[in-house]
Amino acid sequence: MTAFAQGAGDQNLQIHGFATQALVYTNNNNYLGMDTNSGSTAWTEAAVNVNDQVTSKLRAGVQFHYTRLGIFGGDNISVDWALGDYKVNRWVGVRAGKVKMRWGLYNDTQDYDPGYLWSLLPETIYGVDYRATDLSQLGAEVYGRVPLGEHLGKLSYSAWWGDYFVATNDGIMEDFNESGLNFTNTPWGKTPGFDLRWQTPVKGLMVGGSLMAYDAKGNLTNGTYFQPLAYWPAYYAKYDYKKLTLSGQYTKLIQYQTVTITGSAPSSSGIDNPAWFAMAEYHATDKLQVGAYYTRLWDAPLPNPVLPEDYFHEWVSSSRYDINSNFYAKLEGHYIDGTGSGYYGFNNPNGLKPRTGVLVGKVGFTF
Amino acid sequence: MKKSSFIFLIFAAASLFAVHAQAQVVIIANNSVRDTSASKADIRDVFMGASSNLKSGSHVVPILLKGGAAHVEFLVLFIGRSDAGFQSNWKSQVFSGQCSMPRSVDSEKAMVEYVESTPGAVGYVLKTTPHDGVKTLTIQ
Repeated sequence: MTAFAQGAGDQNLQIHGFATQALVYTNNNNYLGMDTNSGSTAWTEAAVNVNDQVTSKLRAGVQFHYTRLGIFGGDNISVDWALGDYKVNRWVGVRAGKVKMRWGLYNDTQDYDPGYLWSLLPETIYGVDYRATDLSQLGAEVYGRVPLGEHLGKLSYSAWWGDYFVATNDGIMEDFNESGLNFTNTPWGKTPGFDLRWQTPVKGLMVGGSLMAYDAKGNLTNGTYFQPLAYWPAYYAKYDYKKLTLSGQYTKLIQYQTVTITGSAPSSSGIDNPAWFAMAEYHATDKLQVGAYYTRLWDAPLPNPVLPEDYFHEWVSSSRYDINSNFYAKLEGHYIDGTGSGYYGFNNPNGLKPRTGVLVGKVGFTF
Repeated sequence: MKKSSFIFLIFAAASLFAVHAQAQVVIIANNSVRDTSASKADIRDVFMGASSNLKSGSHVVPILLKGGAAHVEFLVLFIGRSDAGFQSNWKSQVFSGQCSMPRSVDSEKAMVEYVESTPGAVGYVLKTTPHDGVKTLTIQ
């Protein structure tokens, strides 16, 4: 199949899809909700989308997504996005419906595995076990691109406002359950946010900033949960030079919550967690990419450097081979120091070891 | 090596480089497009999905070839990515709900015909491919 042969008929109506299957092995702790100690194939993803370019300015589309990641995801197929997109003029467009949130370097593309080199994006910011809640919102987005003049580059923007629901079958809900918070409904809230990215006059250099804000409320079996507006800013940069791409991102999640157990006084807690990563990718040949990244998270307001649960440091080396324009394979190694993210009590009943090695192999297909 | 042979080799290498550097691909546009020229960066933006306008404000729609010599040279000269990287960029946008994939055609003849008959269409063909009926954009 050639690169763009999948468009149907007059190509105004298009169908695209992808599927991936992973094998994950770890030498110490079980990782990401899978029994990886004995080697796990319990990570499968697939998606299919339909787009209709109704007129030159109006497009409508929907994407269905399937994720099975150990105990997460399951057999439910979710609507990843479903929207109408109207391009008002050269500078402004509006999308409405269930719309992806453009935040940082990867938020809106993180569930499209064929789109990047890595098997696992940095767990500290784009945790595959946590991502389902942050992908999309039910509301509207205004977006566009503005040229800043001959020598000042171009500015892309996106601003959104809508509702969101906490994904009921991923790591966020598992963490709630393991901390004794059992919901009788699906927690939900408002999520305003924006992204600005500047294509600078320096050839290949892009810098940007995003803010995702969200509140949440829900009912517990024995009380109520309330989280006032949390702030998650991201600052990032990406530089392309010939076959080399360098990128990095810094984020800081500031979130507080109040749990009221019936008959008790409200109890408040919060997190104020910085995280960052630095990446290098190199196109060795047209078919082969290699790369490495380092990422770090402090998972406590006052982290103690001798407590592995307070931090998560990770070194990763990765490779990807494009067999042809439809099939690809990935191989990736991780060395993780700390247990601040990605681990769960249910499949690590004897406690966590401070360090874990991870090996991930993936094959995928896209059309 | 004699000095004269060495100089000959340098000239031969320089000539080969000059032939290679002379673009064999031209950017064609429907006659409704007001622009007569564009920068490489403008063309790259349009064909990477980052912009749908040229300098004059004309709304343009990129048309792609499915393969062949013109497509390969276009990627080298204007995009700077392999075909896999080029497709990956478009698909990332499609799968994140930002746009549809551009229309693609099987041959340069079909490219010329489609661009000629479609307002706003912009494409690319080898210079030697007949392309009467469309305008050729000068690359600045």
